[in-house]
Amino acid sequence: MPHEHIVKSYDNELARLTGEIARMGDLACAQLRAAAKALDARDADAARAVMAADAEIDALEHVVSHDVIRLLALRQPMARDLREVMAALRISADIERIGDYAKNVAKRTLALKDAPQIAATRALASLAQLAQELVAETIVAYRERNAERAMKVRARDAELDAEYTQLFRSLLTYMMEDPRNISACTHLLFAAKNIERIGDHATNIAEYVWFIEHGEREMPEREKRDTTIDAR
Amino acid sequence: MTELRTAVAARDAGPTTTTKMAVRRLNFHYGNFHAIKDVSLDIPEKRVTAMIGPSGCGKSTLLRVFNRIYSIYPGQKASGEALLDGENILDARYSVNRLRAKVGMVFQKPVPFPMSIHDNIAYGIKHYERLNKAEMAERVEQALRQAALWDEVKDKLKQSANGLSGGQQQRLCIARAIALKPDVLLLDEPTSALDPIATGRIEQLIAELRNDFTIVIVTHNMQQAARCSDFTAFMYLGELIEHGVTEQIFTQPKVQRTEDYITGRFG
Repeated sequence: MPHEHIVKSYDNELARLTGEIARMGDLACAQLRAAAKALDARDADAARAVMAADAEIDALEHVVSHDVIRLLALRQPMARDLREVMAALRISADIERIGDYAKNVAKRTLALKDAPQIAATRALASLAQLAQELVAETIVAYRERNAERAMKVRARDAELDAEYTQLFRSLLTYMMEDPRNISACTHLLFAAKNIERIGDHATNIAEYVWFIEHGEREMPEREKRDTTIDAR
Repeated sequence: MTELRTAVAARDAGPTTTTKMAVRRLNFHYGNFHAIKDVSLDIPEKRVTAMIGPSGCGKSTLLRVFNRIYSIYPGQKASGEALLDGENILDARYSVNRLRAKVGMVFQKPVPFPMSIHDNIAYGIKHYERLNKAEMAERVEQALRQAALWDEVKDKLKQSANGLSGGQQQRLCIARAIALKPDVLLLDEPTSALDPIATGRIEQLIAELRNDFTIVIVTHNMQQAARCSDFTAFMYLGELIEHGVTEQIFTQPKVQRTEDYITGRFG
């Protein structure tokens, strides 16, 4: 962690920004958890609650954006401070998207509530669980400004991609086996895709943590495992 | 990514030019006080180099070495080399007269001579050149135009320079310095006594003068250094801590002490 600023209120403002981001991250995790649970239980009321709660994340994003503009105008941050402020703006946008995806997953519950249960719903719950872990872990890495920890989460996005690819294949199989599954499976596929995208946003956040700490220095290599394009 | 950053930085600084001035293992003493410690630094030609650092770090002293102004004070001593076009200006054989014609200086507080606007400019020129009235008028106009002051003073050249505003006086001082067609222009906190509008004019002027002169500016205003310079040197307690392309210094300094200084932290 860098030294303290000579002007104390500057530190307070930066700390507040970090707090707002962390709060957004916690909310997004909770939303994703609740959305996956609602989908798994086909609980329409719980799903509606998730959809309504997304507004809170959106509101926080506005707060962050306001604070960032204020900091830029009044403090003219330089070097690391500037990276902190820019990262906050972009991380908040990523978390806002994560919130949207969680909301979309919740929405699918309403479409699925009368469809027959299929085993793949369980796999979706596991996918959501993994995505939620990745988001939570990147938020911890952000709180700690721990670039190495962030890079470890970033590498784990490959696990999410692999699980998604597997789920994609099994949903395809269900649809081929019985066309009556097509409607439900399509909804599940969209939900799965949303969750897979959440992983990409978590990756972005991890990269901003690296950016705060190391600026434009190159990040370590990582593998990608979304191979759905080859699925038959 | 690294290549990209280097390329972007190079774009802003322009192609690297030749070294106009340089100091090599420079040491400076005010009596027993060691004000500059073993500093080596290159000042590229037709670029703006900003010197930043807290009070007493040696940045203004370095400027005073560049035109040997210190030599009029007893007990002030420079050792090492200060090169202008490869010649050591610290060498007593290098005439001060010749040096002052090549290296102009503008100070923090505008100091117009107590004479007319015209004579403020003509005074220095007369010292070096014999010009007739028409030639002199042309030189005065040229200097005032270059200093972006002509339009404001062309109808009152015979009036006292003391009647000008602070910002105009400072531009007059710049005009006076560039009237001698120096190679190097040293600016020691040229805007610290000016309001933001006058400051903006001086900064715009620096951007224009950069095409013709090598400029070294000492400033306490970090944003100003970031805005106007191609290269920035950070000094601390008489040492040169970091020197690089301005964009790099202000976005990603390599030395922690530089980072602490520019972000306003306790070092």
